[in-house]
Amino acid sequence: MPPYDDWNKIEEEEDEELQDDSFLESKKDVILFCIDCSESMLELYDDPNYEESVPTCHLYTALEAAMQIEKRKILVGPNDSVGILLFNTTRKAEVNRKQGSEIKKNTFLFQPISALGAPMMQELIQLLDAAREDPNELRTTIPPLTGKRVAISDVITSCNWVLRDGAPKTATKRVFLITNEDNPNPGPGSWQLMTSARTTLIDLAQSGVTIEPFFISTTEKPFDVTKFYSSVLLPSNIGDEDDSDEADPSVLPESISISRIEDLLSQMRFHEVPKRAQFSVPFEFAQGLTIGVKGYGLVTEQKKGAYRYFVDLGDRMEVATARTVYIDEDRQVEVDKSKMLYGMSVGETAATADSDEDDGSGVGTRIVKAGQRPFYTADDIKSFRTLGLEPGIKLLGFKNRDQLRFEDNIKHSQFIYPDEMAYSGSRRTFSALLKTMIKKKKIALVRTLTRRNAQPMFCALLPQEEKADEGGWIDPAGFHLIPLPYADDIRSAPIEKGLRASDKLKDAARAWIDKLSVKNGAYPPDSYPNPALAYHNAQLQASAFREQYDPESFEDLTEPKADMIHKRAGNLMQAWKVALVNDDSADMVSVPPVTGSKRKADVSVDEAEIRSKYETGTLGKLRVDQLKDFLKSKSQPVSGKKADLIERVAEWLDAH
Amino acid sequence: MGAIRTVDLPSGPDGEQRTTEMTNLEWSLQFVKLKIQEMIFNGRKTDQCGVILFGSEETSNIINEKNGGYDHVSEYIPISQPNAGTLSKIDALRPSEVSGDPIDALIVGIETQAQYLASKKSWTRKIVMVTDGENSIEVEDWEATVQKMNILTISLTIIGVDFDDEELPFEEENKSTIKRANEEFYHTIISALQNGVCGTCALALRETTRPDMKQTKSTLMGSILRLGDTDSRSDEAIEIIVKTSKCTALTRPKSWKKFSVRQSLGDDEEMDVEEEQKIAFAQLKMRSEYFVDRRDHDEDEDGGIKMEEDESILDEAEKEEKQKVKEEQFEKVEKEQLVRGFKYGTTYAPCPDGQFPRLQTKKGIDICGFFPTKNFRRELSLGEVQYVWADPSSPPQQVALSSIIQAMYEKGVMAIARWVTKDGMDPKMGVLSPVLFDEVDCLLWVQMPFADDIRKYTFASLDNLVSRKGEVITEHAYLPTQEQLDAMENFVDAMDLMEAGDKDEECNRATWYDTLLSYNPAVHRTKQALFHCAVVSDVSTNPLPPPHPELLKYLEPPRRVIKRARDATEECKSTMKIRQVPKKVAKARKDGHVHATDEDEDFLLLDRKQPISPARAQIHITQAPPTSPSKRKAPTINPDDSETEEEDEEEMLLDKPMVPPLDARNSHPLPTPARSLSPQVDPGRAPGRIIGSTYPLADFKKNLAQGDLVTKAVEDLGAVITEIVMRPFSSRRSKELLDCMAALRDTCLKEDEVDAWNAFLVNLQEYCMADMGNAEFWSQVKDIGPPLSPISDEEASRYC
Repeated sequence: MPPYDDWNKIEEEEDEELQDDSFLESKKDVILFCIDCSESMLELYDDPNYEESVPTCHLYTALEAAMQIEKRKILVGPNDSVGILLFNTTRKAEVNRKQGSEIKKNTFLFQPISALGAPMMQELIQLLDAAREDPNELRTTIPPLTGKRVAISDVITSCNWVLRDGAPKTATKRVFLITNEDNPNPGPGSWQLMTSARTTLIDLAQSGVTIEPFFISTTEKPFDVTKFYSSVLLPSNIGDEDDSDEADPSVLPESISISRIEDLLSQMRFHEVPKRAQFSVPFEFAQGLTIGVKGYGLVTEQKKGAYRYFVDLGDRMEVATARTVYIDEDRQVEVDKSKMLYGMSVGETAATADSDEDDGSGVGTRIVKAGQRPFYTADDIKSFRTLGLEPGIKLLGFKNRDQLRFEDNIKHSQFIYPDEMAYSGSRRTFSALLKTMIKKKKIALVRTLTRRNAQPMFCALLPQEEKADEGGWIDPAGFHLIPLPYADDIRSAPIEKGLRASDKLKDAARAWIDKLSVKNGAYPPDSYPNPALAYHNAQLQASAFREQYDPESFEDLTEPKADMIHKRAGNLMQAWKVALVNDDSADMVSVPPVTGSKRKADVSVDEAEIRSKYETGTLGKLRVDQLKDFLKSKSQPVSGKKADLIERVAEWLDAH
Repeated sequence: MGAIRTVDLPSGPDGEQRTTEMTNLEWSLQFVKLKIQEMIFNGRKTDQCGVILFGSEETSNIINEKNGGYDHVSEYIPISQPNAGTLSKIDALRPSEVSGDPIDALIVGIETQAQYLASKKSWTRKIVMVTDGENSIEVEDWEATVQKMNILTISLTIIGVDFDDEELPFEEENKSTIKRANEEFYHTIISALQNGVCGTCALALRETTRPDMKQTKSTLMGSILRLGDTDSRSDEAIEIIVKTSKCTALTRPKSWKKFSVRQSLGDDEEMDVEEEQKIAFAQLKMRSEYFVDRRDHDEDEDGGIKMEEDESILDEAEKEEKQKVKEEQFEKVEKEQLVRGFKYGTTYAPCPDGQFPRLQTKKGIDICGFFPTKNFRRELSLGEVQYVWADPSSPPQQVALSSIIQAMYEKGVMAIARWVTKDGMDPKMGVLSPVLFDEVDCLLWVQMPFADDIRKYTFASLDNLVSRKGEVITEHAYLPTQEQLDAMENFVDAMDLMEAGDKDEECNRATWYDTLLSYNPAVHRTKQALFHCAVVSDVSTNPLPPPHPELLKYLEPPRRVIKRARDATEECKSTMKIRQVPKKVAKARKDGHVHATDEDEDFLLLDRKQPISPARAQIHITQAPPTSPSKRKAPTINPDDSETEEEDEEEMLLDKPMVPPLDARNSHPLPTPARSLSPQVDPGRAPGRIIGSTYPLADFKKNLAQGDLVTKAVEDLGAVITEIVMRPFSSRRSKELLDCMAALRDTCLKEDEVDAWNAFLVNLQEYCMADMGNAEFWSQVKDIGPPLSPISDEEASRYC
């Protein structure tokens, strides 16, 4: 997951599972924001986010969204590049600006495509701050083109040139087109302009660039795609738009976002990470019945980036590249990877064996007759892992939905979607299977091998219906591929017996649970940004901007809403606590489990006694084992010297 | 034990039967060694063993020393914790001509063990006897021995070479009278023992590979379950002391140690010359080195395509030189000189501690609220599952937690909770689900994603297709018809597993597949292989035996289900009309922006007249022909021009005569060590490969343009090139292959796949220079020189 993939190369193939995703992350992503700066984009209106009248405009929102995306990009993909191109503006490039080739008139390259860095971010942030202060700032910095509009084909051609100059050839390249004009080239010659726009778009697509349009629609100025864009835009399949049925010209491209200006950022968020398949494999229903599917990671734990090592070169800090070499320690020679063989550890004890005078080989060597080889090659060990299976998904059969239990989980799921490019007819077959399984409330059991050097796994296929939520997000139709644990992964319950509550007590608990339940709620991932990650990133950004970080400003959204809990259910929780104290179990003494015959004499002292010692300041009179027992019963650590233990006991009693 | 036997080996790469010959002793010692290897592997101080021989030339045992007798029984390895030396000692054993009495050996064994364990009464005592059953036995008085064993609670396992066995099943023909009598006698002993088994060696060997589960006892970790503000409103807030333990934990295959052949044996060499030639394999150690590139970055960022001077093909001297060039520009730095920090884009953010101050957190599990279980989204579960128990030593805590669990269960809700494992650790969000076991209640926890962990990719709707005119389309090749839906429904019904498992006592079939019986093939196969190579001296003449059947039982659907679903499957096949799409040839690009090598494309077009795609007739899924580029040049805007099956079929028919006659030699892909179990035949593009052998370069380019799976594309193209080179008559494709290589190298350089290229090149050289190889092709590669040479780190670095 962390983008610092080349840093983690120490993990060798055998730990392939661990770095599953990193090879995907290593691909560079390039985004060129292409923002309309026409009069209507600059039109001021009151920002609905503020109580008092704070003027803002579409362009401001668009730039701010671009800034937010850059901010995220810099953290999740430090190798990615971003640029900003503005059109319908009269601003001209300064001559000295380093730029490969000239771009079309009335387009302006605000930020050339380059890897993100703090100075670039700060420049944009400063402009936005200035615009906040003075609503006319944007109009002065980026004067709009009045009276006419740039032909969309010119805009696209400029994008193409900018990307050609700035973006590495093999990166995923995308243009985020932001405009509120649904008919940019009306009037005479519009048909011709439409055709040339389309031609330039095909050119763009052929150089591997996808265009992701974000159209702004308002009540006063609704956006109608059919006026211009629907006949211009291509289906989003990169590079092969004229390659197959996927590009069926009768179907509208999948990724057009028409949104209210307030949703612009959240719409962009959906597209922030380029959609990349983690695997593309055949899905075999039965012998001779195979479709193509692609797998995507929709949930993966996002971790903090790993730190890197830097060397001070005087004028700058340079990252040191780490390289892992394998050496024969006795001979101090480096061994090439292709010559490596794999086997069982010879073991450190070999040398200490009292009777191996017949081999003087020292630690870690194994001697055999010439021509023999008690070790495997890299290919051998790969085949042990895969059992010689080829990558693919193999259907084993169907089970009832309720057979997929809560506890049968070991790893995050993946998502599969048909791949018409591999097998034509995949989509309808996939769709038919999905519908049937939803109807019959079934899950499928499959055996998967997602990559050549992965491990075979059994997974449940959980069908998902297409469903839209309020936020404009649509849950896509497809299957979740949920890895099931092997018997080797399952641990038995270590506790088999325990006291149970009376119905009375249960009802008391039920009372406050009722109050604290959200009726139609579910676990809301969106409401819980990872606080540790956010805290880390905020400090990282401050450090890069050379600003002081104020930890007080950080808000952890995952903390339970204690006030609300007490307000709603405080009384009931108290009532339950009273019921618990009055419960018969309160007087029960626990029968310690008999483990072995060597039980010490019972030395335990009860809490009241310890508390009284604490209050009189005579905790020191207790023995270490008594202190430890007490701490253990409170799930506190029992490490350290007696003084530490006393301190910890005191702390606990203090808090309770 | 000196008799020679023929042992079956796993079939060779081409399916041929292979066998080897070894003595009965060698064969049965494999069992002994595997057992000892397992002890070495587990590494427990309380797992010890010793070896006593009977039928040895010399006599050396404790009873003989004291009282005499017990001839030809010797204590070969004293009881101790075994190690690699133990195994090599066992390897040194050779069959003898003398005979020893197994009962004598048994008594010596009991005595030796008893003496060693005199002060360790609680140890479990086991004796394993390995014999071919041909020794003469003094059968009187064995009852006393058995009695003694029962008193000492010794378990005895007798492993007999070619003993008859019903379980395997096995019955030896022409069994000698003495062996028959002995076998019977052994069975008598076993039945008289409280704890004894007797089995045949073949079964015992197989059973050593049976997946066994290492029972891991999860430790109970203390924590606190909280609700509300325990600091300032403790009268209301709830706090329950809980213990947590793992419910699932991912087991990974054991890791391999790396070895390499040690070039010379150094000083000892002279001594060895007199004896047989030996080679040593040395275990490798890992070492990290750090390098820094001192050159200014902007200097020649673009000039990188230019080749390094002469770094042609691998050669020791040149390699050294390369190393030198590399070292000049790349300076090795000591770890002490380095400072830790983070990259914020291109900006350096210093952070000498390796992490910024952490978020202040307090250990415990905080409940945030409850929601109905039916709204739980199973696919969001992130990882391993944990149990949450009430403190087993505190009755009030147990009752308290139980009341909450029961109330949650009754209401059908789960709790959202925030878990901090230790003060100051990063919090995790997750859900707690109530579970009522027979005699105890507990909660199960699973981690759920944060907002940051969710990727919102957009996918085209499967159902709602909208035309460019904005109309909803109801009939389309993407949308299944009613007929297709019916066929699928039948298929799903036929493939149901709910009653496809084994029968229970009441003849009801259970569900097929149970997680508790599914063993991880990677884990157990790797372990088997590890053990195997530790006990044999050569894996090519004595390859790994096949995996235990238990490992394979869930890899394919149950046979009766497949049988039951045959009709439904056929129906599905015929209505769905799925076709494999052959890889498209990348269209020559009109634009000048991409500097694609045009000659390549031309060349491909020419070459296409002689495609090498084999055995199309075997393919179950009919292949649609490659669409000719000219046909698709003008993207059509006509909304009605959606493609239909019929068109494809027509094309099919037209194209058919062009399919070349089958080339029998090509119909089998090169044998590779990793052969597929599942039959998937598309030899043009081997299963799982995204690059076909027919138009490799085009496939490769297309994959790159798509940008999906670069690593995979590189790997596959390499494999395909090697494959084609090794085919007969590959010389007519030489130029194409060289072009492929040029493209591959170029991509490797730019895509940080340098290792892949270098490995591919070495591999290719090996193949070419082997007997029956293709030396001619290799010399062509060499002639081209730098553009196809190995990539040095220095060159690679310019692209980083």
